Amino acid sequence: MITAENLTKVYGKRTALDHVSFEVPEGEIFGFVGPNGAGKTTTLRILAGLLDPTSGRASIDGADVEKQPQQVHGRIGYMPDFFGVYDQLTVTEYLDFYAACYRQPKQRRTKIIDELLDLMGLSERRDQLVDTLSRGLKQRLCLARALVHDPVVLLLDEPASGLDPRARVEMREILKELRGMGKTIIISSHILPELTELCTMIGIIDHGRMRATGPVHEVIRQLTADRRLRITVVGDKEPALAILEPLPAVRHVEITNGAIEATYEGDDSTAADILQALTAGGIKVSAFSQVEGGLEEAFMRATSEEVG
Amino acid sequence: MSRVVAAFWNPIVAKEYRSRMRTWRSPLAMMIYILLIAGLGFAIFSSINTFGGQPANYGQTLFMILVIFQMILLTFITPALTAGAISGERERQTIDLLFVTRIPPFSILWGKLLASMSFVVLLLLLSVPIFSLVFLFGGIELDQVLYAFLVTIVAALTLGVIGITFSTWLRRSLAATVAAYVGAFVLLFGTLGYGLISPTTIDPKATKAAAPPAITYLSPIIPLLWIADGGQSLQSYGIRYPNNYQNGGQYCGPSAGGGTFCTSTSSGVLTATGGYAPFQSQAPTGTAIPSGLFEGWQPWQATIVMQLGICLIALLASAFLLPPVRRVPWRRRRAVETTA
Repeated sequence: MITAENLTKVYGKRTALDHVSFEVPEGEIFGFVGPNGAGKTTTLRILAGLLDPTSGRASIDGADVEKQPQQVHGRIGYMPDFFGVYDQLTVTEYLDFYAACYRQPKQRRTKIIDELLDLMGLSERRDQLVDTLSRGLKQRLCLARALVHDPVVLLLDEPASGLDPRARVEMREILKELRGMGKTIIISSHILPELTELCTMIGIIDHGRMRATGPVHEVIRQLTADRRLRITVVGDKEPALAILEPLPAVRHVEITNGAIEATYEGDDSTAADILQALTAGGIKVSAFSQVEGGLEEAFMRATSEEVG
Repeated sequence: MSRVVAAFWNPIVAKEYRSRMRTWRSPLAMMIYILLIAGLGFAIFSSINTFGGQPANYGQTLFMILVIFQMILLTFITPALTAGAISGERERQTIDLLFVTRIPPFSILWGKLLASMSFVVLLLLLSVPIFSLVFLFGGIELDQVLYAFLVTIVAALTLGVIGITFSTWLRRSLAATVAAYVGAFVLLFGTLGYGLISPTTIDPKATKAAAPPAITYLSPIIPLLWIADGGQSLQSYGIRYPNNYQNGGQYCGPSAGGGTFCTSTSSGVLTATGGYAPFQSQAPTGTAIPSGLFEGWQPWQATIVMQLGICLIALLASAFLLPPVRRVPWRRRRAVETTA
């Protein structure tokens, strides 16, 4: 349903997206997670036809986002991370305006708006001016706006950002309902647990690169499969890094809080081999321990800056 | 047909009408506009009674002052209506929501322009009863009023399109508004000033009367004055005599009566060359532009054609600048590395 192939976006010298690829089949909820500035919004804006990729291509329901923007716009409902509303318009007029912009016939609009207001719990606010709504209600109204033309795909950029806990729960319930309606949805967020409950698929992006993508359980397994060692050495750490980095089992080495943290693939025996390699190399190891990591920590690791 | 209707009458027009007329600003603007024009009309009316003069000129003077004043008022109002049209949507963060709908970018521009220009037309209609006062005095025909309103509305449209273009080009409404006002004043007074700074020098050998530089007709002030008094007030605008020149052993210079007089450098006897040749300062009033690019045209025709040309160019520029993704035929995407 949604395909991104090697999406790259370069702004001057800065690469915002670096060969990002993923695929979201029909009916799936794809959680797009990464820290602020990782490239989530850029990706969603490319998918919405609001930005051209420097290279790569993307399509939605078979329509190329660059070549067929009109078809894409008819198939997507897009909710940006920051948006404004018009003043001097009531909730109903606001939705009617966008329904008209999506070329919905006049006679159908009243029914569509009634249904959406009901779905979003905004029926009682129908005659209220939109700029007087609270942020939570504006978010719901914006989601309703994205649905006025009954799109097959929803691109939601941080739909729960800036909401109080109650509004977040309400938003999550609405998204669950949309999932039940069979929509294919991409939701971006910088908070992983917020998505794992709701999503069927996940993609982790950091510094413009896709670190992991696939079904939620697979990505979690992938992220937590690596084991981590915390090593404290006496004296300079550079010789220790020089020994650790070439080791085939060691995937990643970094210095965190004054200690060396090494991610490796293998079991306890592999850890023993790593310790042996260090001591054989003349490194004075003062502490050597396994680090237990949860999902959150695994995500943090996946999205942290690489050493070297 | 429905596509054409959808392109020209789109939801943006209806939304703009609705939100514009719900604020107190619109009725206030209308009230101030009418009060200013009516106040000026009344002041002229009173002073004419005081000073006396030819009754046939009362209506003409009243009409001329009112029509120029109305144009100047619209020069202040129109950029304010359009300069925030697109940049305001950007600042409010609503433009992306429009771009992802099925409304093409040109319809967004058109909708904004139509809504703003409708308000200008409303202001013009409100001023009609005040303009009808000139008929009490006579001296002005209905077609003169219609031509003047046509010039005014085309000039307002041009100012509106200039405002929209700056609004599309510049990201901030403040910058767009300042630029739109600069553009408006260049159009109105800059082109008029050009005729004073760089007038057409009369060619002594020309067989036609000289006309101001073609660019001066961009200013709606010229056709408005021309419509009101048949060009009397523009008699010597935009043209100048050559300092002095030699003409077959004679020394020539301009005459007070609009022709030229030459004198033999040896005898010092004045000789009138007479007739139209070698030159005359200006064609007889009330006729077409005597020479230049718009030879044979009425000034209002030249103004309207040039301004509509500017509108077209500015609208095309806006239509190019507005879309979030500009697709031009000569742009080629870089080669894409594909993975299996």
